[in-house]
Amino acid sequence: MTSKSVISASELSVRIDQRTILDNLNFEVGKGEVFALLGGNGAGKSTTLKTFLGLMKPSTGTASVMGMSVADNTNEVQKSVAYLPESVTLYGHLSGYENIRYFLSVAGVEKTDDAIHEALNKVALQENAWHNTLSNYSKGMRQKTAIALAILRNAPVLFLDEPTSGLDPAAIDEFNSLVSELANNGATIFMVTHDVYGACQVAHRIVLLSNGKLTGSFERVGDTPIDTEAVHAAFAGRK
Amino acid sequence: MMRFNDIKREAGFVFAHRQFKLTLLVVFLLSTVALWSGHAEMQAQQATIERLLEKDTVEREAVLSHQNSYGMVAYYAFHLTYAPPSPLAFAVVGERDVFPWKHRIRMLALEGQIYESDTDNPELAFLGRFDFAFVVSVLLPLFIILLLYDLKAKEREARRFDLLNVTARNSHAVWTSRTLVTLVPLALVTLIPFIAFAIVNDASLRSILLACVIVLGTISVWSAIVLAIGAAQRFAKYSATHLASLMLGVCLITTVIVPVTGHTVINAIVDTPEGGDIVLTQREAVNGAWDKPIEATWEKFIETHPQWADYTAYDPKRDGSFNWKWYFAFQQVGDESASELSNAYQQATIQKNQLAGYVSLLSPSLLTQRLLSNTASTNVQSMINYENKVRAFHASLREFYYQQLFAAPEFSESSLKQLPQFTPTSQFTRKTMNTQENTNEK
Amino acid sequence: MAGIISNTIKTICAEQWRYWLRTKVATTVLILGSVLTLAALVVNAFHIEEAAHAREHLQHEAEERFLSQPDKHPHRMVHYGHYVFRTPTPLSVIEPGVDTYTGNAIFLEGHRQNSAMFAEQRQSAGLTRFSSLTPSFLALVLAPLFIILIGYGSVSREREAGTLTLLLTQGASRWQLVLGKLVALMLASSIFLLPLLLACLYVAFSNESALVVTLFCLGYALYFLLWAVVVTACSTLFEKSSASFTVLIVIWMSACILLPRMGSSVATSVEPSIGKLEADFKVEEKLRSLGDGHDVNDPAFVKLKQDLLDKYNVDSVDDLPVNFRGIVAQYSEQRQAVVINEFAESRMQEELAQARIARQFGWLSPTVALRSFSTLLAGTSIETHHRFLREAEILRMQFVQGLNKVHVEKLDYKLDMNRNSSEEAADKAVVEASNWAVLSEFSFQPEAPMARLSSAAMYCLQLLLWVGVAALLLKLAVRRFNP
Repeated sequence: MTSKSVISASELSVRIDQRTILDNLNFEVGKGEVFALLGGNGAGKSTTLKTFLGLMKPSTGTASVMGMSVADNTNEVQKSVAYLPESVTLYGHLSGYENIRYFLSVAGVEKTDDAIHEALNKVALQENAWHNTLSNYSKGMRQKTAIALAILRNAPVLFLDEPTSGLDPAAIDEFNSLVSELANNGATIFMVTHDVYGACQVAHRIVLLSNGKLTGSFERVGDTPIDTEAVHAAFAGRK
Repeated sequence: MMRFNDIKREAGFVFAHRQFKLTLLVVFLLSTVALWSGHAEMQAQQATIERLLEKDTVEREAVLSHQNSYGMVAYYAFHLTYAPPSPLAFAVVGERDVFPWKHRIRMLALEGQIYESDTDNPELAFLGRFDFAFVVSVLLPLFIILLLYDLKAKEREARRFDLLNVTARNSHAVWTSRTLVTLVPLALVTLIPFIAFAIVNDASLRSILLACVIVLGTISVWSAIVLAIGAAQRFAKYSATHLASLMLGVCLITTVIVPVTGHTVINAIVDTPEGGDIVLTQREAVNGAWDKPIEATWEKFIETHPQWADYTAYDPKRDGSFNWKWYFAFQQVGDESASELSNAYQQATIQKNQLAGYVSLLSPSLLTQRLLSNTASTNVQSMINYENKVRAFHASLREFYYQQLFAAPEFSESSLKQLPQFTPTSQFTRKTMNTQENTNEK
Repeated sequence: MAGIISNTIKTICAEQWRYWLRTKVATTVLILGSVLTLAALVVNAFHIEEAAHAREHLQHEAEERFLSQPDKHPHRMVHYGHYVFRTPTPLSVIEPGVDTYTGNAIFLEGHRQNSAMFAEQRQSAGLTRFSSLTPSFLALVLAPLFIILIGYGSVSREREAGTLTLLLTQGASRWQLVLGKLVALMLASSIFLLPLLLACLYVAFSNESALVVTLFCLGYALYFLLWAVVVTACSTLFEKSSASFTVLIVIWMSACILLPRMGSSVATSVEPSIGKLEADFKVEEKLRSLGDGHDVNDPAFVKLKQDLLDKYNVDSVDDLPVNFRGIVAQYSEQRQAVVINEFAESRMQEELAQARIARQFGWLSPTVALRSFSTLLAGTSIETHHRFLREAEILRMQFVQGLNKVHVEKLDYKLDMNRNSSEEAADKAVVEASNWAVLSEFSFQPEAPMARLSSAAMYCLQLLLWVGVAALLLKLAVRRFNP
């Protein structure tokens, strides 16, 4: 689709204690692309993510982001990456606004209050919730806060871990449209999930992961979402 | 590298937790209360010394005016000896509540007097002292554990750990600044009351700095232990409270088990004479002398005091109705017969103390307590130094009285003005006592 | 119905034990705790036995030496004096109390009351400053910590794991759940109690009253029960295990470490005591006015002399059928003793007042309550030390006045007055050694069991109050218990 690859795995393998978690992964993700890694429990999704985030080292092969090998330039890579963990728990005793302020400072990024408000509006978080403590937020609201943080980071690459798990359909739709908008603005999105429907709605490319191996690949043609049935069949069939 | 921004942000973060502010308040209160109680105690001790000095003089005057022979004076006149509390004693009671720091000494055999202990209420000593040294050596580590045990584990359990590390520009900076922002206020609330009280007590700058360094040292050591356990790879999967149990275990082992085991081992290694034996031996020698021929006593006495060899003859007209010379001679001989045991007893105490020093290398709490005691001069050595001063004073008394009894038995009150006075370590005497000392000295 | 209820409790209890046996923390703590308690018991028992033997031996030796003294002037025996040693009480094996802080030897002589010497703490080079790992310290301070480490999460972990709702929907009531956990924790704490019980059994075969030993054990059992209840209550109250843990550790620090020491500091501030040395000055002051007992011609004895002369209808002391020097010695010793004891008693009252204030902290901390209860019952509190001092004083007066009586009746006055004129004269002014039998044997026993029980009663009350507080806390926790 696009020329220069932003995220790439080249013969990537990860072995822990004689067990092969990831076996010879090869793929490329271009700029502005929404890429979904689909797999069941235990397929190796978290390991893949952790490798690209620099939290784990590949045993053989390379994982690269922005042309840099993650293992060798962990700090540099982490600066250009935003991460949305699964079932994100930010600090319960701080408000959404304070959480964002805190993590931005941790990242060494300065943003004005206006920029933060803009981001919060973009993710459609109600204004009267901005200064409530996070312990009072619903799951969807917490999700939105985390995304707002990712947006504010202005990172060219976003890594998302099971972003739609636990969200209601309305929230999923909101999430999908946000992701598409970010991609259209040039961000590269790498998503790890087992939500077939959600992935099909938003991804440009879906790749199936099973037992550490890539077992299938689907691409969107034009503006039509990828065929859910086909992906589902391939996904379930591989069990 | 940490930036000022990191510190500012983490400070805001850490202080946003109510438990942290509460903990700081509690430590501040504990520190202040412990210091205040030690201060009050030392004030009371000073006042006691001053009262006792007064009474001591009055009483000695009364005795002197009643008597008309040196022998009687030597028998009845008591002298107060004391070790005033050092400027830092308010913070570290140390051995002052176990060893005696005051005696009333007279010319009679020293071995029968020096082991008397005018120590405090044993039930209170048994409960233990709540002084600053206790807060720093035992309580502070517990607070450090409580504050830092879940530094990383908490984030792991809340699944923020990866988010933090990935998002951070410099993840080390985050953890380091969070740790510093926790420890520095803790150090401050502990030390600021101490410094305040130390200034009030006229402590020297050097000793205050030394004590602060020790406190900071113990905070560093315990933080290092806590952080090392928290960051260790092999404990990465443990829950935060499991980690805390490990840390408490370390605290327990080093604070309780190591010292007690050391105590048992040292007692087994070092041969200590029974205190009871010293006094029994001395008493036997003294009382046996009554039955022996007088010459036997003189023979022994002359061995160690050849300068009086020509003065041993007793003349009732010159020396009074009772042979005081001989009486005090056998008191001294009694002491000498017990001197081997007595020296061994003191040596054993010193040796045990030395060995305890080695044991303390395995126990941060014990080491802190000892170092603080050393700085405040309330350690075992200081108390032994006091005991040796008392012995030296007794020796000077004897010299004075021998001079009179042997060489110049004609009683004259004016000669008694030369009676030696006990002087404590001069650096610890306050201004008021200094003047009193000056007027008493020869 | 009762059968079903207790079945549920049993099941929950058993499951909790299975959990503990499978987690590292719990098993380590259980093993470590039991080993420590046992070790402390054995070491302390040896130590106390040794001390008991040593002191008995020394006491025996002192008595022998006194009795084997040759013929001599009786007043010299008054100055020769005697030593008494305090042997440890049977329950010192568990609760040594103030034993290492008080001297255990007193020198008894005429005209003076000495203080006790050779407190063992002086020889410990500060190593036992924080604790001496006696069984009672283990039980009072460390056992609660162990109970906390084992049980802080017993209920809250169910909530965190989500199994709580599951349990409650299976038909278990909230009370059954909590009681099951409580019983499990009580069983765990009894493992630490076991060595103590064994020690008490051993002591029960010595000459200690069975009632005292039983109540002693019961006190500790109550204490452990109390902590088990508090820990379970906190685990129930707090949703997160970490919160329960933190709160319990803070409670432990305050109750077991801080408050006892604060009690002693407060006691010294509120009731300062003047110490023996200062009291000695006052005593000497007063004694000076009573005259010098060595000098027959001291004006203080003029009346005495006159009364005696009148009584025997003679004109000079030389003609008295009794030894006037002896009479003077007897008389002045008596008067001195009155003064000395007046001050000694007031000092003892001061120390007792201080101890009582420190014990009031038992209303703030169950640890202080049990410590007071335990030292009083074991006979290792300051009351027993005071009793030792009093008995030593009685013995002192007995042998001193006994010797003075011998002086009065058996030594000729003229020989006595001439004793210093020459060596032969000195040899004549003696009495026979058989007279030294005035010295009675000294064998120290603590207060009678009933006396100890009644003085410990108040602290038992404190302990019971705490059990009540803990029970209320549990009730509150269960009431607010929502999955």
